[in-house]
Amino acid sequence: MTASIDNTHFLLRRLHSLFGLVPVGAFLVFHLWENSQSRFGAAHFNETVVGGLQRLNYLPFLELFVIALPLLFHAGYGLAVIGSGRAEPLRYRFLRNRWYWLQRISGVGLMLFLLLHVGMTRIAGMFEPSIRADLFGHMQQSLSQPPVLALYLIGLWLAVFHLANGLSTAAIAWGLTTSANAQRRFGWLCGAFGLLLGAIGMHGLIGFLAAAGGAA
Amino acid sequence: MSAGRTVIVVGGGLGGLWATLTIAEAGHRVLLFSLFEVMRSHSVCAQGGINAVLDAKGQHDSVEQHIVDTIKGGSYLANQPPIKSLCEGAPGLIRTFERLGVTFSRTPEGLLDQRLFGGVKKKRTCFAGASTGQQLLYGVDQQVRRLQADGRVEKHEWWEFLSLVKDADGTCRGIVAMDLRSQELQAFRADAVVLATGGLGQIYAPKTTCSTNSTGAAASRVFQQGARFANAEFFQFHPTAMLGEDKTRLMSEAARGEGGRVWVPRDPADHREPGRIPESARFYFLEDWYPAYGNTVPRDIASRAIWKVTREFGLGIGGGDRVYLDLTHLDSAFVSTRLGAILSIYRKFAGVDPLDTPMEIFPAAHYAMGGLWVDFERDERSGGVKQDSPRNHATNIAGLYACGECDYAYHGANRLGANSLLSASYSGRVAGESVAAYLQGLGAGSQDLPAEPFDREVRRQAQINARFAGAHGDQNPYRLHDALGALMTAKVGVVRDNGSLDAAIAELAELEQRFERLDLGERSGWANQSLAHARQVFDMVKLAQVMAASARARDECRGAHYKPAFDLQIPEGKYAGDPEYEAYRARWKAANTRWLKTTTAEYATDGPRIGFEDVDLSLLAPEEPRDYR
Amino acid sequence: MIRANVELRIRRQDTPGSAPYWQVFNAPVRERDNVISVLMQLRQQPVTADGQRVDPVAFEHNCMEEVCGACAMLINGLPRPSCSALIDELDHPIVLEPLPKFPVVRDLIVDRSRMSEHLQRVKAWIRIDGAWEIHERTQRQSQQAWARNYLYSRCMSCGCCMAACPQFGPDKAFVGPAPLAQVRLMNAHPTGRYDSAERLHAIMAEGGLTDCGNAQNCVRVCPKEIPLTTAIGELGRQTTLQMLKDLFGA
Repeated sequence: MTASIDNTHFLLRRLHSLFGLVPVGAFLVFHLWENSQSRFGAAHFNETVVGGLQRLNYLPFLELFVIALPLLFHAGYGLAVIGSGRAEPLRYRFLRNRWYWLQRISGVGLMLFLLLHVGMTRIAGMFEPSIRADLFGHMQQSLSQPPVLALYLIGLWLAVFHLANGLSTAAIAWGLTTSANAQRRFGWLCGAFGLLLGAIGMHGLIGFLAAAGGAA
Repeated sequence: MSAGRTVIVVGGGLGGLWATLTIAEAGHRVLLFSLFEVMRSHSVCAQGGINAVLDAKGQHDSVEQHIVDTIKGGSYLANQPPIKSLCEGAPGLIRTFERLGVTFSRTPEGLLDQRLFGGVKKKRTCFAGASTGQQLLYGVDQQVRRLQADGRVEKHEWWEFLSLVKDADGTCRGIVAMDLRSQELQAFRADAVVLATGGLGQIYAPKTTCSTNSTGAAASRVFQQGARFANAEFFQFHPTAMLGEDKTRLMSEAARGEGGRVWVPRDPADHREPGRIPESARFYFLEDWYPAYGNTVPRDIASRAIWKVTREFGLGIGGGDRVYLDLTHLDSAFVSTRLGAILSIYRKFAGVDPLDTPMEIFPAAHYAMGGLWVDFERDERSGGVKQDSPRNHATNIAGLYACGECDYAYHGANRLGANSLLSASYSGRVAGESVAAYLQGLGAGSQDLPAEPFDREVRRQAQINARFAGAHGDQNPYRLHDALGALMTAKVGVVRDNGSLDAAIAELAELEQRFERLDLGERSGWANQSLAHARQVFDMVKLAQVMAASARARDECRGAHYKPAFDLQIPEGKYAGDPEYEAYRARWKAANTRWLKTTTAEYATDGPRIGFEDVDLSLLAPEEPRDYR
Repeated sequence: MIRANVELRIRRQDTPGSAPYWQVFNAPVRERDNVISVLMQLRQQPVTADGQRVDPVAFEHNCMEEVCGACAMLINGLPRPSCSALIDELDHPIVLEPLPKFPVVRDLIVDRSRMSEHLQRVKAWIRIDGAWEIHERTQRQSQQAWARNYLYSRCMSCGCCMAACPQFGPDKAFVGPAPLAQVRLMNAHPTGRYDSAERLHAIMAEGGLTDCGNAQNCVRVCPKEIPLTTAIGELGRQTTLQMLKDLFGA
């Protein structure tokens, strides 16, 4: 008998699931809330929100261990998970099956989006102090280009879907929801959560643009 | 003990798996042969339940009553010591099944629930919804899989048994089987062989409740190699099967046990929806004719009653071969819990919900009471069979055992409902114990024999294959099967007469001749189903000849074998003590002296040799004729 | 009573290694015929729509009433037992293919021995001392618990759930929904429970429960309406607890 601690397969899968929710999912919620502050203008956003965060002690450690590494693990192991299945969204036109497929598509899409997004903001900021200093302006400038805005909209909704659907399937995987009814009810709850989260994200995106109009 | 022998079990239904389990647990290696994955065996089709006296329903049931019901249900034709041991062993068997994880239905107190079945007055039938056979089979299947994982059982699924290999003394020493994929023929050595190959309902196809693999071919093959066949004329027609052109699917007797009623409109021209026909215009003929047992009379009685109402009185629904089996007056939640599996079958295949509309049913070929003759050793002290005697379930070929539906042991002239899952399981267990005892007394094992008899048998089978595959005629094997089914249904069916039986015997001989002009229609050397099927149908014809000849030889009515020309009618309205009834009883007893015998058949090239042998009546003398009024 | 002809498009394959090919048949259909009964009629005269005499189509059949599980195949693209697939309820032409994810033996016959292997892998049995009589009363079980267990005990290993599962396949380790449901069933048995940790560890290894991707096709295609995803949820809970026991001590 091989106990689960002697065989890492189970622990790795559960860790993948866990990291998707905490800290990565939790960070997404925080991040979208944080960005929704954009509607209070550049000064508030740059100084109170971004500045407050940038003044946190041990910030690089937090960024590395709470965000980057869990995210990298979730993404990397997620690729392996994707490789273990073969979706047939057209043959089986059931909702959950389409979501199964979309969860994998959104995962890959998010990786590409995040490369761009993190590169354009956090990485670029390391080399370009002006971005760090005026993140609001930087975002405003980027988002006013329609292709970038479209990309952010897609990225936002992929992320929100990936988290909401991931939450609903994690509930099954961990055994929170067992009966079909419980799974359905929790699915609706996750859907509502996703819509709310998406709305917050939209709010943030619009904030950058709407405030841009006001400032000009 | 002389552990470590090799035993072959052919067939993976309840009987075969129980034998496998028992033999493997006795320390022997088992090679289990099956035409397909064993869990798909026909046992899964058994629905209603398994009889065992638990006396859990406040009805003062007793094992003695179970014995009496079984003996009388079978018209006294079965040897009584095996019946006694069967009924005594039943409660323990149920408890064992429960330990294996079988999901028996429960009472509100969490105890095993029991329901009513045909031919009895006590609730004696344990059940798992309406899929009892499936649950029982899976329970044993899981254990056999466990033994397989331990290397104690070796499964040969997708292999077809073709023949026995006997040594110079005529002792069975192995088998020849064919890989149904590669078509390879191979001899397998064994120190004993257990045949558990089930029934033969396909001889009546498509008017049968049996699976398409219940051909009886294996039993026919050993019969043709010298094994005796017994009581072949006793074949049960289940009264309540669905109508169907491809198969007449079973609607369990449990439907009536739980309160279902059988009726027809009093006026055959009454074309109203059944629900709109008032009570006064309905003819509940079973309840009318048999008030004491009503809808739960034994199957032979119910089938004949339906036959009479439709064929003689012309009262079938719309004038046809169909009557109503009605559940619509019962509580739908109750019915759904207890009979869910059959409701779902009816809904899927008839497109009608039995909770809303009465089902339309008719009798169909169901179960062979007859089968390979098997021995038993009576225990003089107990009156049952002697435990661990190597004679129990032994055929007349040394080293060959038979259990389950392919033997003839327990049911006499008519089987009671829910006794078949019992006899299949129990006989598998007993045959297993018996084989273990036989192996203890066995000298040299089959491994020490020269290769010659095995090689010779493989060559003989290869020749038969070549003959079937090489024939260039115009006879399609599947059409030959259709012809066989139509012939047997028409002439060796519910009601028989000697004229038709003579015709059947002649037509069967002609059918056999048609195999000379066979055309398989395919030459493939891989998974050639036509070859396997043609060989099965040929052996089915040989078995049908035994059935027809046995039926021809028995000029009386007993259980499922009904020849109106020889019927001793119970005088209407007369009961024990009335002079008319006593005169009837005297005629019946006189007939018993001539006909209360086991029919035996032995193979000969020019047709089966029919004989009769005495029945062991040591427990209950035949004083009381069957009377279910 | 032949009522009409129906067009059957059948994917055929002569041997496990050979290339599949398609043939079209116009088969006679009777009242309330199903796919198996039409195939049975067809094998009596296997002639394609363009008049070519061919080998009869090989297919599996046994009970014809959806309890043995033998006859599952892909019918119009979806896995289901072919005996209960009534012609009248199908879109025409009817497209028949062997059950996917399992190796083809010939035509519509596939080799499902992996299902049995996986049942062995998850130890889907009650470990008894022996099948002899032990003279002990049966254990009580509530009607409610019975009703939940009975659902799982009706699994006939037809393989439909496996065929529809995106995580199951010939080159994939996933054990599949049907064997998982049996773990759920065995772990609920009063004595089967004794070995539940062993079964849970079996499904916590590679190809075990965590390989489920929650596409939930299994529960949608199961012909016996077995709540496979409920079993998966319950096993999720059991394995979570087992993991905590393994990590922190029971």
